[in-house]
Amino acid sequence: MSVTRADVLKIAQLAELHVDEAAAAELERQLTRILDYVEQLNELPKDGPVEIPRPDVILRRDEPDADPLAAPPAAWAPAMKGGLFVVPRLGELGGGDES
Amino acid sequence: MTDASAAARATAARVKACEDRGLHAFYEWSEEAMLAQVAHAHGDGPLAGQGVAIKANIADAHHATSCGSRILEGWRSPFEATAVRRLRQAGAFIAGKTVCDEFAMGSSTEHSAFGPARNPFDRERVPGGSSGGSAVAVAAGAVDFALGSETGGSVRQPAAFCGVVGIKPTYGRVSRYGLVAFGSSLDQIGMFGRDVRSAALLLSAVSGRDERDATTLDRVPLPEPGPAPTSLKGTVIGRPREYFPDGLHPGVRAACDRALARLRDLGAEVRDVSLPHTRYAIPTYYIIAPAEASSNLARYDGVRYGARQDAPDVRALFRQTRGHGFGAEVRRRILLGTYVLSAGYYDAYYRSAQRARARIAKDFADVFASGVHALFTPTTPTPAFRFGENTADPLAMYLADIFTATANLALIPALSLPIGRDGGLPIGGQLLGPHEGEQTMIRVAQALEAATEATAEVR
Repeated sequence: MSVTRADVLKIAQLAELHVDEAAAAELERQLTRILDYVEQLNELPKDGPVEIPRPDVILRRDEPDADPLAAPPAAWAPAMKGGLFVVPRLGELGGGDES
Repeated sequence: MTDASAAARATAARVKACEDRGLHAFYEWSEEAMLAQVAHAHGDGPLAGQGVAIKANIADAHHATSCGSRILEGWRSPFEATAVRRLRQAGAFIAGKTVCDEFAMGSSTEHSAFGPARNPFDRERVPGGSSGGSAVAVAAGAVDFALGSETGGSVRQPAAFCGVVGIKPTYGRVSRYGLVAFGSSLDQIGMFGRDVRSAALLLSAVSGRDERDATTLDRVPLPEPGPAPTSLKGTVIGRPREYFPDGLHPGVRAACDRALARLRDLGAEVRDVSLPHTRYAIPTYYIIAPAEASSNLARYDGVRYGARQDAPDVRALFRQTRGHGFGAEVRRRILLGTYVLSAGYYDAYYRSAQRARARIAKDFADVFASGVHALFTPTTPTPAFRFGENTADPLAMYLADIFTATANLALIPALSLPIGRDGGLPIGGQLLGPHEGEQTMIRVAQALEAATEATAEVR
């Protein structure tokens, strides 16, 4: 499976991750090599279970938990105002074609 | 001075001696933090007066939880991990935060954003990873106990490289509340000790159901370990042939052969078995773990906590923050995970990896159902490698986990203990037990440990 430069840039966009040109070239090679390696899973039959038998997850009751935080969000947020996290303008959130 | 503050000062002196050797096991430690903790310590628990080193991806109140990443540099968690709370209840204090590969992704600590730890047996070699700092802290005598975390072998592999004991419990045995998530279907907190008993005691202290982690098993904590058995008569040990390939490092093979002879001397029956899907473990792991990581690490976006790169709009803020905050290996795995989960590839990669995972788990279930009590294998294909040896080729680094990732995929417990040395470097032997089979696995390990010349050369 060959990963192209366009693939790298597309998944970087999906992952909201800045990748520069030099890194993209290297990632193209590395991801191709890793995906070539995992291709061997195709030797296995395409049927069979996808889940491992395991004990059920036990959910706690959906009630507020008395676990006060040692510090409020304002103590660790990069930017906060009036109890809200501050971010720059939304920009082209829906388009997905931003460079 | 109270006993507790004397213990804190003594631990601080030991940590300082470790760091003065240039081993860089710790990102952060201080005598003041230790003294502050022991001022409120419980005096009579099974770990009373013990300093425990913890990996930098486990949250505590006194140190930063950086995960070895620029994106969380200096970040202090507003809550503590359940495992840390249980350590305090057992009388212990946190000695400091240890060096790890960024977000636990790596097998050498070379992917730490703040410099690697060094192997105490040869400082030109890696300590293993990702929990390398915790292994070094125990191996160098800074502490007798340390916590790490495992997604594919990150406790057992550094334990083997540093000549200490490492345990990966059954999935769900120990709460992950306060452990920073990497691959949630695989992650488990693990333990390091100078001997099997220490690591098992640490496991008993932190094990048990936790309401704050819905994946914990509904079980009471494991009991403290008993004395080492002097006989293993009636115990069947499986030797899976896939873990002893023709190209296995000769020192590793010699150490394993000697350990298997000791198990026979103790009265155990050693039986050749097969786990036919073993060769698919690394390809399976490197689909499932990055897929889960790409999802778990989406939370680091520069908005609520952690580092932020200022940008003109919010999407650029996400991209710049993540692009600069994450190191190369984390970026690689996020992209790999995003790729295998993306439309059109999900069935080809993720679904087929899940099927392979189920086959790997069934291999183990079948062998244990046939009357085998525990399996014995090498922990790693080679002793500790040199810095830089595997950094150019990510795949070469991934193969360092070839004998360990299976237990994480199959959700079963496993343990590494020192079984000899080759050219002065420690070699680890691995025991694997059935789901929830920690106690038998630990008993076998204790017997083997007592009968093995762990510090002797094997050839």
